[in-house]
Amino acid sequence: MTLYLYLIISAIIFTIGAYGIITQRSGIKILMCIELMLTAANLNLVAFSSFNGNAAGQVFALFSIAIAAAEAGIGFAILVALFRVRDTINLDNINILRW
Amino acid sequence: MAALISLMILISLIGAIITFLTRTREQARAVALLASGISFVISLILFLRFDSSIPTIQFAESYPWIVSLGISLKFGVDGIGMPLVLLSNIVIPLTVIFAWGETKQANQFYGLILLELVGVLGVFTSLDFFVFYIFWEIVLIPMYFLISIWGGPRKDYSAIKFFIYTHVASLVMLLAIFSLYFNAWQISGTPNFDMFYLLKNYSVIESSMLKDAIFLALLFGFLVKMPAVPFHTWLPDAHVEAPTAGSVILAALLLKMGGYGLFRVILPLLPFSGSPGELVIVMAIIGVVSILYGTFLALAQRDLKKMVAYSSISHMGYVTLGAAAIVPLSISGAMYQQFSHGLITCVLFMSCGVIQHSAGTRIIGDLGGIAKYMPKLTFLMLAGFLASLGLPGMSGFIAEFLVLVNSYFTLPNFVILALFGIVFTAGYHLWAMQRAVFGTYNEKLGHIHDGANYEMFSMAVIILFVIYFGLNPNPVLTMMTTNSEQLYTVLKGVVIP
Amino acid sequence: MFGEISALIVLLPVLAFVLTLFLGKKLPSGGAYLPIAAIAGSFIISLGTFLEIYPDGMVQQSWPWFAGMNIGILIDPLAVVMLMMVSFVSLLIHIYAVGYMAHDPAKPRYFAETSLFTAAMLSVVLSDNILQFFISWELVGLCSFLLIGFWYHKPSAAAAAKKAFLVTRVGDVLFLAGIVLLYVNISEIITTRAFSIEPGNFILQFSTMFEAAKLIDPTQLTLITLLFFGGAVGKSGQFPLHGWLPDAMEGPTTVSALIHAATMVTAGVYLVARTFPMFVATPDTISPGVPDALLIVAYVGGFTALFAATMGLVMNDIKRVLAYSTVSQLGYMMLALGTAGAVLGAKAVGISMFHLIAHAFFKALLFLCAGSVIHAVGTNDIREMGGLFGKMKITAITMLIAALALAGIGFPFAGLGMPIMNIGTAGFFSKDAIIEGALEYGEVKGDMIPYGMAILAALLTSIYIFRLWFMTFTGKPRSERHAHESPGVMTRPLMILAIFALLFGFSQLGFYGYVEKNFELMNVEIAVHEGEAFHPSPIIVMLPVIVGVLGILISYAIYNRRMLDMSKLVSSGNPIYKLLLNRYYEPKLGADIIGVKLTHGVVAQSGEFIDRKIIDGLVIDNIIGKTVFMLGEIVRKLQTGVVQNYASVTLLGLGLLIILLKIKFGGI
Repeated sequence: MTLYLYLIISAIIFTIGAYGIITQRSGIKILMCIELMLTAANLNLVAFSSFNGNAAGQVFALFSIAIAAAEAGIGFAILVALFRVRDTINLDNINILRW
Repeated sequence: MAALISLMILISLIGAIITFLTRTREQARAVALLASGISFVISLILFLRFDSSIPTIQFAESYPWIVSLGISLKFGVDGIGMPLVLLSNIVIPLTVIFAWGETKQANQFYGLILLELVGVLGVFTSLDFFVFYIFWEIVLIPMYFLISIWGGPRKDYSAIKFFIYTHVASLVMLLAIFSLYFNAWQISGTPNFDMFYLLKNYSVIESSMLKDAIFLALLFGFLVKMPAVPFHTWLPDAHVEAPTAGSVILAALLLKMGGYGLFRVILPLLPFSGSPGELVIVMAIIGVVSILYGTFLALAQRDLKKMVAYSSISHMGYVTLGAAAIVPLSISGAMYQQFSHGLITCVLFMSCGVIQHSAGTRIIGDLGGIAKYMPKLTFLMLAGFLASLGLPGMSGFIAEFLVLVNSYFTLPNFVILALFGIVFTAGYHLWAMQRAVFGTYNEKLGHIHDGANYEMFSMAVIILFVIYFGLNPNPVLTMMTTNSEQLYTVLKGVVIP
Repeated sequence: MFGEISALIVLLPVLAFVLTLFLGKKLPSGGAYLPIAAIAGSFIISLGTFLEIYPDGMVQQSWPWFAGMNIGILIDPLAVVMLMMVSFVSLLIHIYAVGYMAHDPAKPRYFAETSLFTAAMLSVVLSDNILQFFISWELVGLCSFLLIGFWYHKPSAAAAAKKAFLVTRVGDVLFLAGIVLLYVNISEIITTRAFSIEPGNFILQFSTMFEAAKLIDPTQLTLITLLFFGGAVGKSGQFPLHGWLPDAMEGPTTVSALIHAATMVTAGVYLVARTFPMFVATPDTISPGVPDALLIVAYVGGFTALFAATMGLVMNDIKRVLAYSTVSQLGYMMLALGTAGAVLGAKAVGISMFHLIAHAFFKALLFLCAGSVIHAVGTNDIREMGGLFGKMKITAITMLIAALALAGIGFPFAGLGMPIMNIGTAGFFSKDAIIEGALEYGEVKGDMIPYGMAILAALLTSIYIFRLWFMTFTGKPRSERHAHESPGVMTRPLMILAIFALLFGFSQLGFYGYVEKNFELMNVEIAVHEGEAFHPSPIIVMLPVIVGVLGILISYAIYNRRMLDMSKLVSSGNPIYKLLLNRYYEPKLGADIIGVKLTHGVVAQSGEFIDRKIIDGLVIDNIIGKTVFMLGEIVRKLQTGVVQNYASVTLLGLGLLIILLKIKFGGI
């Protein structure tokens, strides 16, 4: 197994996530895509860690997963709150930060 | 006793913090007075121990701070900074006493005044360009709040204008400082923000365009602060809206930072700039135009305070002119003008404040005959106005005389123009006194009362200083002259075309 | 012994000023006795110094001040006679003021300010350098400002005070410019090593100045002296800066007496006398043999003497007549310095100073008499007076003496070759000498214009002063006021001054001899153009007296006997009368047009317009401000508020970055 294989998979997952973020309109789907991108990054960390024989990368991955979970929790909470107020989670309609 | 300067700044800073934390205005003003009083005592010790026969930095202190970038806390004073340190410490306690009756958010008010003291002391004593810049900016912020919280009806406009104007100038100056810094870094290989080190390395910059750009950027930064025509329009607005204490500090101390920059930074760089002769002429023109322009604008004002603001522009023109003339005593005269104007302008702004408070207006035409009910104020105000119009026996005369006489050697035509302004200077001062203070009492003003005792006290003390330094300029002038002679040895090569 | 403490001459009145200002309210009569005692002390010290240094001593003391300047005392013959006169006349005026100001609530301020006024003037007199001279000179101006505006609640007084300060300030700036130029020139000849200051001397000391004057470029020297003279013109109310002096009447009459006799206006003449060696040293480019500066001094003086006298003829305010008389007499003093200076050298200083001091006595007397009259009748307008002779005998007689002195009445026995000395009032001796000097100048230099002006002015002087006297004291009372003689504290100074106005003239020759030596003592040589002995014909010698008497007769005929009906002349239809009454429209031209309309209206307002509308409005607000806002308007469109847009841009940026790195470093 070469490192490249992992990296390519990781890159594919990352690209899918990025594509999703740009194209999707639903807030929940976007959050899921962000999780995908994070997973891709974690995969990289673990792969490099194993490749270099250094456990630090795996520790970082664990951290990252934990933080991703927390972030997802907050993200969903915001979406719920948003839905209560505006009856939608379609991000095209949530653009009050414009000029 | 080596750390007197940092002790002085630290005490003001701690005083400011404690003042912010106090709950009643009695506590706040007591702490403010105490802290600035201690600071004054320390500056007096410095002043008395100062050896005016040597031009080098005295009471130097140095503490490493950000070593990797070559930034350290370096303090020290020489004949350029020492008088201004003393001036700051005279003005701030007296301003606190003058504003003894402040009721609105008193702890913040006095705290901000003390922060101003921290800022100006830092500017006048820092020898590290980075720290100098930090203090330069520290001065800006309390003044912004002093204007925008305690100011008059158009306070927001004026405060923002003041802030943007002077901040843009400081940013331009910062770019120049960084440019000097990286240049010196490139040459020596080690980063160092030391002021004299950076100034010394200016001469080895190869590109003459960069040299001129740095020089002009620094000059711009200082001229806006002074302020010199045409970069002056923030000043009248800021003064008109600022509370009296704010105006006093603004005119007496903040403007002096610009002049200090001229002597500390601009003059040492001048001989190495691309075309020193032309730059000197530019400065001289700015100086004379400021003198005359300020005078005529003061003549046109109907608001007493605005008139005084324009008179400041006019008086600061002498500083630029004296610096541009490059004669040892003209430079001393310019420094002395800074010191003297710092004192005199306090009295003028305080007078405006007392009149505004008592009569409810500062419009000259709406006043009239207030001498009848305000004899004490009239006495002190007249003394201040006479000092401001350059009456001999007061400190302003010594300064203007030195500048005019000695500038004539190199800039005769400019001096003739400046002399022309003297008559009009007397004109607007006396015109304002005659219309506002003397004559028949304007009954529409209703019942007015004389200034409070604490207000009269601080004005009287300043007048005494003005007279003392008008009769005996030597204590301050000697140290200035030592330094201006040293500056002259560098500047000798500059030929005015 | 008095020489060593001569600094007290100035310091005593200064001390009295401080004490009276702060303690005056608690002392009887407003603390008036403090300044009186102090000035008496000054007088005694001056007198003592005089006795000590007479006939050929001097007092010189100097202390370094700042930047190569010094403070010092120089009491030479010129200074000591001035010192005695100033302190003596000022003392009498102060004593008189105790009575005159008795009912004014602001007495402490009055006496404090007059005390400072006297101190400043004394300091002018005994300065040993031009800077101290200038500083004291400015303080004199300040005190005049304060005292003219003493009744500051009167708008006219406040305006007059301002005018006095500003007009003299114009002169002061010229004077300052002269000092600047002098300093620069002396420094330059020091750097070229043509000249060096002896140790113990200072750059702006008179002795240094006179030494240096020989080496300074002649054109520059002319310029310097003319600038000095510009200062003198302002202070001494010479044309064209004479307008403030008649307006200065708004202060108390005692102040007018101080300004016109003892202090202030004489400072200008004293300045020219003090720096006389420099005036003499100027080149003669306009008229051969006459130094340029002296020529201009002579003409300005002569013209002023005549010009002011014409206005004195028509004024109805008793003090204003006297004011124009002062302007005119000061013109005489300048004339003497100019004309006699050109032919007689240092003797001119003696002639001029003699008239100055004689004038101080009789002009102080005239003003104090006028004050006494005003005190009695409560008006300044001579048209409302009349017939006061019977009621105020002392005032009337002393004023008659003063008027005779001003008109220069006497008989020149010696001048006609008779073996008796000349007999006459002080003004006779002093003015005769001036006119004679002008005549000699005319004969020697072939320029009789100054002499003509002097004679004509003498005639007018006599007419206006006796018009004043006849209208005030003779005829029928023209108002219902109940007049009475003033109290003793006021009349006694009158009598003392009257004695001096009568008898001072007899000291003439001794005075000349003493003051002439002044510049010899300072080691300054002034070339005296000794020609053949000058023997004018008897009619010429008599002419000044003849015109004086003629003037009295004319006045008598018109204003006492009413032999001529003046109503046709004195009417608003007569353009000359109107011109004179309106003072040649000088107040209108000076104050209204130049002061208010031009400076305030045009220059200052256009400056305000440039500042507010162009610099602030157009450049700052419109150009810079609007540009920044416009840029903001463009850039803010990028903020769509849609998260995906931002994310796309971010990714795009990331992609670009990767490509750039790839180009730069290669690799995959």
